[in-house]
Amino acid sequence: MKITDAAVFPYPCGDTSVRRLALEAKALGFDSLVAIDTPAGSFDGVDILSGIIVQDALMRDVIARVKRAKDSNAVISVTARDNGFNRAAIGLKGVHILRGVHAADKNAIDHVAAKMAADNDVAIDIDLSILIAARGIARQRAIHRYRDILTLERRFEFPVTLSSYARSYLDLRAVREITGLCSLIGMEISGVEKALDAVGRVTTPSPSAVRVVS
Amino acid sequence: MSPRPPTLRENRRYILVRVEPVMTVIDQKELYYTVSDAVTSLWGDKAAGVITQAVVAAENGHVIIRCLRGTEKELALALSTVTACKDVRLALRIVAASGTIESLRERIREQLVPGEPVPEPGGRIFENLEVDIVYCNGQKVDVIEKGFKNAHRLFLTKSDLENS
Repeated sequence: MKITDAAVFPYPCGDTSVRRLALEAKALGFDSLVAIDTPAGSFDGVDILSGIIVQDALMRDVIARVKRAKDSNAVISVTARDNGFNRAAIGLKGVHILRGVHAADKNAIDHVAAKMAADNDVAIDIDLSILIAARGIARQRAIHRYRDILTLERRFEFPVTLSSYARSYLDLRAVREITGLCSLIGMEISGVEKALDAVGRVTTPSPSAVRVVS
Repeated sequence: MSPRPPTLRENRRYILVRVEPVMTVIDQKELYYTVSDAVTSLWGDKAAGVITQAVVAAENGHVIIRCLRGTEKELALALSTVTACKDVRLALRIVAASGTIESLRERIREQLVPGEPVPEPGGRIFENLEVDIVYCNGQKVDVIEKGFKNAHRLFLTKSDLENS
């Protein structure tokens, strides 16, 4: 099992270099990080996966960007919007993660989108920074939305990823703390373990249904 | 007023927390309000009244926080939601929990054994920025950009820096 934080923002987006993030992440119990707009690498035994987030774009722009990034071995994410957009994004080959579900429409992920995500191995991301830094109604709404997502996840078994959205190493949290934070949204330890390992699942191409033997 | 006999007193637990970034000046009272705010925001007034959190000591970059026995998990979770104390960004990393303050002080002393890190003299360059080292320990280096206007701290490693 590879414990992965599905989104961190190293310098220049944040105030911490990718090497330092790797160093701190290792101390907090992580094996790999998805660093947005950063080349892939390995520092101090922590694997850095390159990540791309496509946001605020029309569907045709999303298709073009995903097409361009498909061969780069990067973890490609799309920011969620309305239900129709999300279904189209989930159905798009090459998309690994759908992010920002807490900020999207109320019905952004319904049972059809959930089924599609399970079929296409597209993960729905849980943004832990909201649970950590937000207060009051914003956090309450996010908890409610994530609980709803997890109800669908238990039914359709699509992958779920966990992201700290750390722009500084101060925003990173230890695996034990993440387990505690996930208990707020009704996620059990086995679910957290699965979610921390989910980046590997969505980036590994699934074996094709038909295998040619000769 | 005579003190309560020990059997009638509340059982308490103490949590040792390391404050990051290193060299952050901690005002015990401000941190108490920050922790209280985090606990109340997450668990509500009712639970906060049961947890009865209090910052009992702040020394050598560590803080000891008291709570009622059995509520350590709730307090620890609330501590992980602390991101700043009076506009100063920080993170509270939980090190240990114990029934006595003395055993936690022992832990602090154990952690301080390698000695105080000394900033290396001389200017360095990171990504075409001239920076000054403010803290250095092993691979970890904290720097600030040179100049009056920008006192923003950057968190790097030794391999990120070039000599000027």
